[in-house]
Amino acid sequence: MTMDTPAAPWLDSHVPDTLAEAWTNLRAQGRRSALALLGILIGTASIIAMLNSGHMAQRESLKLFAKLGIDMLQIQAVPAGDAPVALSRTAIAALPVVDPEVLEVIALATGRATARAGAASADLAIFAPAPALARMVGLVAARGRMLGAAEDCALSVVLGADAARALSGPAAAVGPGSVLLLGGYGFTVVGVLAPVRPETLDPVNYNMAAMIPPGCARRVIPGGGPNALLVRLQPGADSKAAGARISARLTPREGTLTVLDAQSILATMQAQKAVHSRMLIAIGAVSLLVGGVGVMNVMLMSVMERQREIGLRAATGASPGALRLLFLTEAVLLSMAGGIAGSLLGAGISYAIASGSGWDFDLAPWTLALGPVVAGGMGLVFGLYPAISAARLNPIDALRAD
Amino acid sequence: MLRLERICRQYNAPARTLAVLDTVTLSVERGEFCAIVGPSGSGKSTLLNIIGLLDRPCSGRLEIGGEAIRSWTPHATASLRNRLIGFVFQSFQLLPRLTAWQNVALPLQYRGVARPARREVAEAMLARVGLAAWSDHLPSQLSGGQCQRVAIARALVGQPQLLLADEPTGSLDSATSREVMALLRSLNAELGITVLMVTHDQELAASCPRQIRLRDGRIVEGSEARAA
Ligand SMILES: Nc1ncnc2c1ncn2[C@@H]1O[C@H](COP(=O)(O)OP(=O)(O)O)[C@@H](O)[C@H]1O
Ligand SMILES: [Mg+2]
Repeated sequence: MTMDTPAAPWLDSHVPDTLAEAWTNLRAQGRRSALALLGILIGTASIIAMLNSGHMAQRESLKLFAKLGIDMLQIQAVPAGDAPVALSRTAIAALPVVDPEVLEVIALATGRATARAGAASADLAIFAPAPALARMVGLVAARGRMLGAAEDCALSVVLGADAARALSGPAAAVGPGSVLLLGGYGFTVVGVLAPVRPETLDPVNYNMAAMIPPGCARRVIPGGGPNALLVRLQPGADSKAAGARISARLTPREGTLTVLDAQSILATMQAQKAVHSRMLIAIGAVSLLVGGVGVMNVMLMSVMERQREIGLRAATGASPGALRLLFLTEAVLLSMAGGIAGSLLGAGISYAIASGSGWDFDLAPWTLALGPVVAGGMGLVFGLYPAISAARLNPIDALRAD
Repeated sequence: MLRLERICRQYNAPARTLAVLDTVTLSVERGEFCAIVGPSGSGKSTLLNIIGLLDRPCSGRLEIGGEAIRSWTPHATASLRNRLIGFVFQSFQLLPRLTAWQNVALPLQYRGVARPARREVAEAMLARVGLAAWSDHLPSQLSGGQCQRVAIARALVGQPQLLLADEPTGSLDSATSREVMALLRSLNAELGITVLMVTHDQELAASCPRQIRLRDGRIVEGSEARAA
C-alpha cells in the first residue's frame, strides 16, 4: 500500500470518494436541496420542451411537403372576369427549356361540378391532369384502374376515395363500372383512388375529386385548357425568384397568377414558431438563472454550516484543491439531479404540446442528454464561488465555528 | 525531532499589537510525551496550532522531524499535516455522517489510499484503541470516551511523527479522562510517537514525563528536553 502524497492536488482525494461523499451530503440536506432544484428543473424542462416542439414542428411542416418535396411551385390562373382563363400550352412546354432551374412541369385543368349517381349527388373538384401527375403525387387506384393513355378523350373517370363514398347510396355503392352524371355527360367510373394525405401544394383535394382525361376536359371544365401547374425546380433553387420568372412568362392577358412556393410557406411557418421558441427560451434562461442562484445559495449555506467539517478536513490534510473539488462536485450533482428531472418533465411537456397540436410525438434523443449537461454546467458555474470560499476558510477559525 | 526557534505570533488588535507568542524556543525529542500547561490565554493553543501548521508564525523557525518548514502555502501545509501530524481536539471533531472507520480513514483518503486498503488500515487502528466492534457506528451512537478514541485512531492512522492534543480530556469525566490518558501513554510507549498535549488537569500534567509551562506567551519552564 502506498502512502505517498500524489503530486496532482486535484487527486488529493479520489474522485469516486468525492462523488460518494457529495451524494451523502446532498441527501442529508433533503428539502433544501429539492427547492434549489426547482429552478433548474423548470429551466431545463422548458428548454427541452422548446427544442423538442421545434423538432416536432419541423417534422410536421416537412410532412406537408412529403409527396412533392420543397423544390416545388404550384401556380394557378385566376380569371379576371367571368370568362375562363387558360395558360398557353406552348409556353408551358417551353418552360424546362428556357428556364434552367425548371426540371419538370405538370399542367392540369381544374374546375368544379356536381356529380350524380342515382339518387346521390356531390360537389366535386374535377381535374384533368397530364399523365405524369399520378406518378409525381403517387396517386394509385385502390379499386379498378387508372386512366389509360388510349382514353385521352374517353368518358372515363377515376374518383377520389371520399368522392366515391359520398356518391354511394345505401343501396348502390359507386365503384368501377358505375355510371356517373357529370356536367350533363355520362362518365364511367374506371377506378377509385387510394386515400391521399392532403398537402399544401396540392392543386385540388384528390380525395374529394374526379379525375378525367385531359383531351376532352372542355366538356365539364369551362375552357378546358390548363389553368394550374406544378413545377419541379432544381434542388436548392431559389423558388421565390423562379416563381417570379415563371409568372412573368405565363401570366395570361385575361387573368392573374397565384404562385405558392414550398420554401416561402415553410419560412412563414418557421417565423411563427420562432416567436413561440423565443418565449420558451426566455422562460428557460430566467429559470436556469434563478436555479443557479438557488444552487449557489444552498452551497453557501452548506459551507457556513459545515465549517467545522471543512476545518477538520483541512487539519487531516485536505488541500484547498480537494475542498474545492468536494463542494464543486456537490453543486454539480445537485444541479444535475435537477437537470435529469428537468429532462423528464421537458419530455412530458413536449408530449403535451404534441397531443395539443395534433402532431406525432417524437423526441430528439440528444435533447434529453442536454438537460443534465446544461444543468451540470450551471452547477459548475454557480458552485465555483461557494467552493472557493470553502477552500479559503482559515482552518483554525473553521474548527472553532459552531 | 521538533525544534522551534524564536517563534513569534502577534495579533493586530485595534489599538496595539498583541504578542500571543513571544520568541518561543523549544525542542522536543522523538518519543517524548509532553504536557503543555499554563493559565488560560497564555498561548497554549496558539503554540499547538503553529506546531500543527494550522497557523503561521510572524517570525521564527520551525523544524519537524528534521524538516524545516519553508513553504507556508495552504497546499504545502496541508500535505505536511497529512504526512507528519495527527490532531486530537477537545470536541472530538468527528464528522457526524461518517461511520467510525470512515472518520478514522479520512487522513488516508487525502493521501490517495484506495478505499478497501483504507478500511483495512482504519479498522486495525480502531482495534488498537479498543473499538474493533464499533467500526460501523456513527459518532452519535458512541459515548464521549469512545468518540475521543476514534479521534485518536484518526490522528494516528497515517503514522505521523507528532500527535498534537489540545485539551483531549476537556470534555470527559475524570474516569474516562484517565482511560484516554492511559491510551495516549500506551500508544506513546508502543509506537514511539511524540505527543504534545495541552491540559488544564494538574493531575494529568503531573503524570507526564515532561511539562512545558507557558505564561503570557513565553515558555517559563521546560523549553529544553530534560537530560535522560
Ligand atoms: N484570532 C485571534 N485574534 C486576536 N486574538 C487572539 C486570536 N486568537 C487568540 N487570540 C488571543 O491569543 C491569546 C492566546 O490564546 P490561546 O492560544 O487560545 O490561549 P490558551 O489556549 O492558552 O488558552 C489570548 O489572549 C487570545 O485572546
Ligand atoms: Mg486553548
